[in-house]
Amino acid sequence: MNPIKTRSIKAAALAVIITLALALPGSAQAPVPKPGSPPPPPLLKVFLDWPGTDIEAIRAEIPFVTFVPSLDEAQVRVAITPQGPPPEGHLRIELTGLGEFQGLDNTLTYAPGRDEKPGDVRKGVAALVRIGLLRYAAKTPVAKDLSVKFLDQTKPTSVNDEWNFWVFSLSGNAFLSGETQYRSGSYYSSVSANRTTPAFKVRTQAYGNWSNYWFDLGDGTAYTSKTHGYGGSALVVKSLGEHWSAGGYVEAESSTYGNLNLALSAAPALEYDVFPYSESTKRQLRILYRIGLTRTRYYVETVYFKTAETLLQEALSVAYEVVRPWGKASLQLQGSHFFHNVKFNRVELAGGLEFRIWRGLNLEVDGSYTRIRDQLALSGEGASLEDILLRQRQLATGYNYSFSVGFNFSFGSTKSNVVNPRFGNGGRSISISM
Amino acid sequence: MRKAPGAVAAVILALALALGSKPLPAAAQAASQNIDELKKTAVKVFLDCDDCDLDFIKTEITFVNYVRDRLEAQVHVLITTQATGGGGQEYTLTFIGQNECRDLRDVQKYFSSKTDTEDETRRGLVKTLKLGLMSFVARTPIACRIAVDYALPEAGAAGLDRWRSWVFSLSGNGYFSGEESYMSRMVYGSFSANRITPRSKLKLGLSVDTSKQRYEIEDGTVTGSTSSLDMSGLYVKSLGEHWSAGAYVEIESSLYSNVDLGVTLAPALEFNFFPYSQSTRRQLRALYKLAVIPVKYREETVYGKLRETLFQESMSLSLDLREKLGTISLSVEASNYLHDFAKYRVDTFSVVNLRLYKGFSVFVIGGYSWIHDQLSLLGREPTYEEQLLRLRELPMHSNYFAAVGFQFQFGSIFTNVINPRFGSTGGGGLSIHMN
Repeated sequence: MNPIKTRSIKAAALAVIITLALALPGSAQAPVPKPGSPPPPPLLKVFLDWPGTDIEAIRAEIPFVTFVPSLDEAQVRVAITPQGPPPEGHLRIELTGLGEFQGLDNTLTYAPGRDEKPGDVRKGVAALVRIGLLRYAAKTPVAKDLSVKFLDQTKPTSVNDEWNFWVFSLSGNAFLSGETQYRSGSYYSSVSANRTTPAFKVRTQAYGNWSNYWFDLGDGTAYTSKTHGYGGSALVVKSLGEHWSAGGYVEAESSTYGNLNLALSAAPALEYDVFPYSESTKRQLRILYRIGLTRTRYYVETVYFKTAETLLQEALSVAYEVVRPWGKASLQLQGSHFFHNVKFNRVELAGGLEFRIWRGLNLEVDGSYTRIRDQLALSGEGASLEDILLRQRQLATGYNYSFSVGFNFSFGSTKSNVVNPRFGNGGRSISISM
Repeated sequence: MRKAPGAVAAVILALALALGSKPLPAAAQAASQNIDELKKTAVKVFLDCDDCDLDFIKTEITFVNYVRDRLEAQVHVLITTQATGGGGQEYTLTFIGQNECRDLRDVQKYFSSKTDTEDETRRGLVKTLKLGLMSFVARTPIACRIAVDYALPEAGAAGLDRWRSWVFSLSGNGYFSGEESYMSRMVYGSFSANRITPRSKLKLGLSVDTSKQRYEIEDGTVTGSTSSLDMSGLYVKSLGEHWSAGAYVEIESSLYSNVDLGVTLAPALEFNFFPYSQSTRRQLRALYKLAVIPVKYREETVYGKLRETLFQESMSLSLDLREKLGTISLSVEASNYLHDFAKYRVDTFSVVNLRLYKGFSVFVIGGYSWIHDQLSLLGREPTYEEQLLRLRELPMHSNYFAAVGFQFQFGSIFTNVINPRFGSTGGGGLSIHMN
């Protein structure tokens, strides 16, 4: 039997090229090893049960498996049975895992079009079988040579959504810890309503947090303290093409740490991304300008003898982020000032880098520095020793910084995939932040 | 060794032509249909993964619809991780078919290496995820727009491992922060040498850390510092699917605990009620340990000791479950000294994170300890600053921590859209990260 003979010269030539290029095994022959190189990994063995079909044509469509002539040596059985008379009848495709793939089964259906020719039906079925076989091939060494591609681009909003992309969320959290002579508690609660589509982004939320400390000082006295913060915010962003966005923030805040009884602000903003937004998970360079009016009432008269004031402030920030196979990097520069006195300003520089210098040698650096000249809310009363040590009040400062650097060098059998869960996999760590 | 790159490219091209770009008959039909119509019937996926770059996955895999609730999904992809001997991660992707795909179930694995960068890891995971999703995608009309590329197999299997499974790792970290009236510094360094095979596990580690905090107050400064040194070793031999035997060695020095030098030597035995091969999803391990501990203190203890040799036994039971419904992790450990059974402690720890109904989830994380074995406690009173900055261990009978929370969500079930404009700050909240 030589099926190629019956087909066009072009198709035959293509099939020959593929057959040669891959050294595709014949029905049951082992692959021909190339001289001087170890043999390629074995392919998935498939038994195709489709009476009367042209197996060579199927083979050309699915080159990453070997079709074997008997069920005994197969790892997967593919049975294709017509359901009803052609041309309207569907084809039922049953994939059955054998041996180590026992229990991995799937049933697919191919519905041919009204005027599909038998050759087209064969190709359509082969395309479905090809996709159906991937789960088995993924468990064999051939997996690393396979990749799946989607031929189209779709809009993420192409769904039937009765809520029109609105998501509402309600949450509450509490964190408590203590010892015989020490107790602390933090509580956080929020409600939010968000809507995210490619054209619009709406985020609204209201939150509250409360925390308290209690120290037994041993001599019959105890030190206790309570702090809280409440607020609400709304952000609306409209997309203006692949590079521009315009939007606005509205915020309300109350905080004992910041000496803010109530601060209300509204700020329109404009953003430009040098790279298209669609590349945001790989790289972004965003420039954001914001101008805002804030009305603030303080708990305690400030160091500038104010109990309330209205301020206009503008801010510009530039943020760069990139994630690449060598690692990732980010850099952010932000500056802001108040209009009533330009001397009240702030400049912040922050950056981070994770970089693979050489094979197992990785470097990680993070840092930020802020020059602070705008602590308008600072309490005129000063802070107690306890407030300072427990960091419960904003303190006067001209700067703050944080910097961290780390490196890791690993060598040896770093490609080892062995998992050995005995005696546990090392310690457990939990970090909680608010 | 390898083929010329040109030849490989030609083969890939030929295959891409043969498999991908050539419109399939069904695809030809589909092209006339609107692709966005096909997307409406695409598989609904719930991604259940704590440490995945979800935005990246959603931008790379666009032939499915992502939903925020597991009950809405046709496939629930549960991704669990475990450390590998090489220092990387084993990702186990469990594809659980639901609703129309109830009959389908699959498990795929992806291994990342310790030397992989974040980008390499997320790409590798996306590739495995795509392959695993195909069985589900094949049941939807969008399947006709999927192409499969097959690059020519690379030569042969990996060569012999000349490091014989040994992995060495050296790391150093420093954290510095401050403002005019406050400064904090922390430096940490560690070295480890591990050899992990299915038959045995050997881990050796050394770590040092020091930290210092300085506060400016009205009449001067308050300074607090801590430092510790820790050397540890663990050997475990596998005895079948349920039993393991081994020993711990630990040498430590800690200012917080008033220990100048303490050595712990402890043989141990473990029984896992589930087979070890299921450990990524479920474990119930019971571990018994018998330790001998010679110890030298920094300052005289409340019991008037400067050095002593202690014998201690401990038993722990820990349960870890990772199911569709969520995560349950419970453990209890009890220990006592053999010279005085009244010197004992019991530690309990639990993490429960459950998605109970549509859109409703709760978590409880908590620990409670009964402590009656503070043998190293400082003989003198700690200073006021030492107490507020928590630099010294204080006498206690118990300690606890608890975090509880709930979330209720309703509205749109789809989470396909990534909109990075104006940044993606969530704004506040309690975030909990566990390893």
